[in-house]
Amino acid sequence: MAERIVFYDQIARNKRNSIFLIIGILAVLMLFGYIVGIVMGPDYFTIIMILSIIISIIYVWAGYYYSDKLALASVNAKEADHIRHRQLYNSVESMSLASGLPMPKVYVMNDPNINAFATGRNPKNAVICVTTGAMEKLDKEELEGVIAHEMSHVSNYDIRFMTLVAVLVGMIAIISEIFLRSLWLKGDGDSDNKAGLIFMIVGIVLAILAPIVVSLVQLAISRKREYTADATAVKFTRAPTGLIDALKKIKRENEPEQKGRINKAVAPLFISNPFDTSKVKNLFSTHPPLEERIKVLEKM
Amino acid sequence: MVALLAWLIPVIILALIIIIFIAYYNKFVVKGNRIDNALAQIDVQLKRRADLIPNLIETVKGYAKHEKSIIANVTDARKALVSATDLKSKVKANDQLERALKSIFALAENYPNLKANENFLQLQNELSATEDKVAYSRQYYNDSILDFNNSIRVFPGKLFASIFSVKERPFIEIAPAEREPVKVNF
Repeated sequence: MAERIVFYDQIARNKRNSIFLIIGILAVLMLFGYIVGIVMGPDYFTIIMILSIIISIIYVWAGYYYSDKLALASVNAKEADHIRHRQLYNSVESMSLASGLPMPKVYVMNDPNINAFATGRNPKNAVICVTTGAMEKLDKEELEGVIAHEMSHVSNYDIRFMTLVAVLVGMIAIISEIFLRSLWLKGDGDSDNKAGLIFMIVGIVLAILAPIVVSLVQLAISRKREYTADATAVKFTRAPTGLIDALKKIKRENEPEQKGRINKAVAPLFISNPFDTSKVKNLFSTHPPLEERIKVLEKM
Repeated sequence: MVALLAWLIPVIILALIIIIFIAYYNKFVVKGNRIDNALAQIDVQLKRRADLIPNLIETVKGYAKHEKSIIANVTDARKALVSATDLKSKVKANDQLERALKSIFALAENYPNLKANENFLQLQNELSATEDKVAYSRQYYNDSILDFNNSIRVFPGKLFASIFSVKERPFIEIAPAEREPVKVNF
């Protein structure tokens, strides 16, 4: 007999775990930086740190700042019509009342699959986009559950959080790149003492493994935030049935998107991974399997 | 050099203390404001409800003029809602309105022309939507009160709350009589 869980606890637990994970990434970054510093010297270390921060931030920042426009443009979304899409606007307004957030902009994208995403750098600039499939196939309660999930991402500042994670992961990847290349160019003429050699080997191992490991951690964080968003959605609607039924419909009916229809970079923003509707519990997915999400929701 | 350090450390500690005090004070202000905003939102939704009623009454009168008592119930409930001043009486008036509306919509079953009237249907949908929104804004009001009360009761927030004389706020309650299921009379 499954015991009931309370959405407040679920929200707190997943937020806490995602923070532990991000601290983990930070720790890897520090450790890696330290080893690189030992191998290559403190000046090199300073330069490489500054360089990686700048590159990573620029690379990720543009995507973050313009995340709303980029995402909408990439799926060719149109602003929702107040008269034709009244039900949609009512649901979004209800959810913004329940969450205390300002009303986001509402968009519609043409797609037979049931799906939705939310983006925007903060609640004031938030945008929610729903597929035509979602509006046709979901009833009022189910649509409200999906919208509640998306508003949860806005409310929990998930876009900002995942951007932060992306910056850290990016830094590690860049440091690794630069470090390995420098070693190749430098040769090992300087390190003729045992300790130096050991640090160099550790450095190389880290340089190869760290980017992979933190990418996996990044995906784990993404999954935790999805669970958090599900629980927060229940906090807004105070009943999990809408979202549960919507997820069940998604599981039953959604077909994987053809390549090229949706930009891969935007895929993590959707409520259900548009490319991977498999039920496999996967280390490589941005979303937890639908099965698991439904199971957790049914306990609330 | 040592003298400088000896002077610097207490300054830093003092600065940190001031910052912590400011942080807690601001936290209480922000959370308190959220509650006030939530309250204002409830008013917005209630007003929208009240504004939809006259149109509804006119439409109903066009088909069922003689159903005087049911129509009067709605008009009275609307009057009560518009003239209510504090939250408790507003909530009570809204619940009274909701009961009166249920009777009207049940009434439409006896008047197929009214039931098919486009205007009537649209008003029915909008009133249903606003009832949801009133419910959600009440929910958020209570949620923001919970958040506020939590931050006052936990430690160390508790200390700062008593220093700044910040008091707990009450939730919206439903009167026991109103928790009973609504009976619809024809």
